[in-house]
Amino acid sequence: MNRAIVATTLRQRFTSPMRVALLLFFSVPPLLGALFMPAAGLSLLGDSYGAALVFAAGMIGQDVSSGTLQLLLARPVRRSEYVLSRWLAVALATIAVVWTQIAIATLLLGARQAAPAARDVLALAGGDALLALGMAAVMALLSSLAPGLADLGLLLVANVTATALGAFAQFRHWVALARGAQEIGRFLKPEVSLAPMLQGGAVSWFEIVSWLSTVTLCLALAIAVTNRWELSYASS
Amino acid sequence: MTGIRIETLTRTYRAGQVRALDGVSLAIAPGEVFGIIGPNGAGKTTLLGCLLGFLRPDAGSITVDGHAPDDLAIRRVTGYLPERLTLDRWMSGAGFLAYHHALAGLAAASRARDVAAALERVGLDATAGARAIRRYSRGMLQRLGLAQALLGDPRYVFLDEPASGVDPAGVVLFRRLLNEARARGATVVLNSHQLDQVERVCDRVAFVSRGRVEAMETLAAGAAAARVLRVRAAGALPTREALALAAAGAGAELLEVASPLARFAVADDAAAARLVAALVAAGVPVAEAASEEGRLERLFLEGPAAPGGSA
Repeated sequence: MNRAIVATTLRQRFTSPMRVALLLFFSVPPLLGALFMPAAGLSLLGDSYGAALVFAAGMIGQDVSSGTLQLLLARPVRRSEYVLSRWLAVALATIAVVWTQIAIATLLLGARQAAPAARDVLALAGGDALLALGMAAVMALLSSLAPGLADLGLLLVANVTATALGAFAQFRHWVALARGAQEIGRFLKPEVSLAPMLQGGAVSWFEIVSWLSTVTLCLALAIAVTNRWELSYASS
Repeated sequence: MTGIRIETLTRTYRAGQVRALDGVSLAIAPGEVFGIIGPNGAGKTTLLGCLLGFLRPDAGSITVDGHAPDDLAIRRVTGYLPERLTLDRWMSGAGFLAYHHALAGLAAASRARDVAAALERVGLDATAGARAIRRYSRGMLQRLGLAQALLGDPRYVFLDEPASGVDPAGVVLFRRLLNEARARGATVVLNSHQLDQVERVCDRVAFVSRGRVEAMETLAAGAAAARVLRVRAAGALPTREALALAAAGAGAELLEVASPLARFAVADDAAAARLVAALVAAGVPVAEAASEEGRLERLFLEGPAAPGGSA
């Protein structure tokens, strides 16, 4: 990891007016819900998917299309170091925002005499952190494949394809295809539900391994793709 | 230090249809200021891309101090200014330099001091340093890019059109910084279309055309006498001996006489002024005196077969 890249990415993400506006758009309404509908508890907060997309969109592709990457990679920085640092920064930014949102919601609910149980708060925070790390890895891969913000388009196309395949498989009763579509969906939104821990149970090993393999695979592929890039505009 | 070695470098595009580099071989000595000139599409940017490890050659090899150009050990001692300079527009100039100072692995303890010195070096004050890059003019951007390239006094400096878009004061500054880099022993590779600048700062120049090094010009030794002044008289010229005498008195050299024209080799503008004054004093009715194009300009326009070019 490169601390300078992590710190600069965090500053870049938090000073982008568009990203901050989108975050406020996604974050404030659930907090108002916690204030005015305390009975709903933390369920109104949703997960960290939206915040992760706001921070992750164009995390690599924008550096490529703007041309700033050439100058960065002329420095003693490995491409793997660059990808992993961007991934970590985006995940950290998402976690910071989502955890702040959870903390504020918890305080608001407490003020309305509807404070959630500590284990519920921890499970939500843990699940959101894992989803943030997972989504940042998926977006790192997609962003390494497409310039600018086209990674969002790739994600949309992949999600629509998975949904269409799932619907088609259900219609034709093709179990294998339905399972395949389900796995694509799991790949595009890598999460681990920590809810079973609340009932004293254990988290599914399948979910943990699936999450780990998705994150590892996405980051490895993103590094492999960036290692193959040629950065001189002479090649274009 | 062994400098830069390029052996039969070949690079094609579009599945081999476009041959950007065709067996280029060069050796650039440590401490040398080396220019690359040539027409658009000659392969200069591809050559620079390969030198920086951004492009993979199809064949041939490049070593910098005996390492591959993308070796991190080489990147640590390399400064680079690209032609299409795109900087992180949201950062301040000082923030951008501090970021690259950190990326270069330079000591954090001296960061603030080094950044302030780098800004001052390129003529940007603290106010400009605090300003967001998106508010910079083209010339300021180029100065900031140059400051970034020279952070940490790198041993190898690659500059792609460094004086592009800068005002005359910026051009003078660029020349001064290049001379400072030369004085501390840095190896500089300069790709530029500004032939007069190349002629003034480079020790040697490669003329690249159609992916090949068509000529190599050594400038350091002959640069002082590189300019030719062409004088046209309003009437008949005096004898060749009288002209040669007047020229010698002004520190110039008579090259050719074909009345009413005469050509003289002069060292610089001051020498040209002295020569014109000496000719007038000798009774020559000077109607016009103009510099001929420089050696590189001739090389560029007429190709390596022209006088002064050596393949």
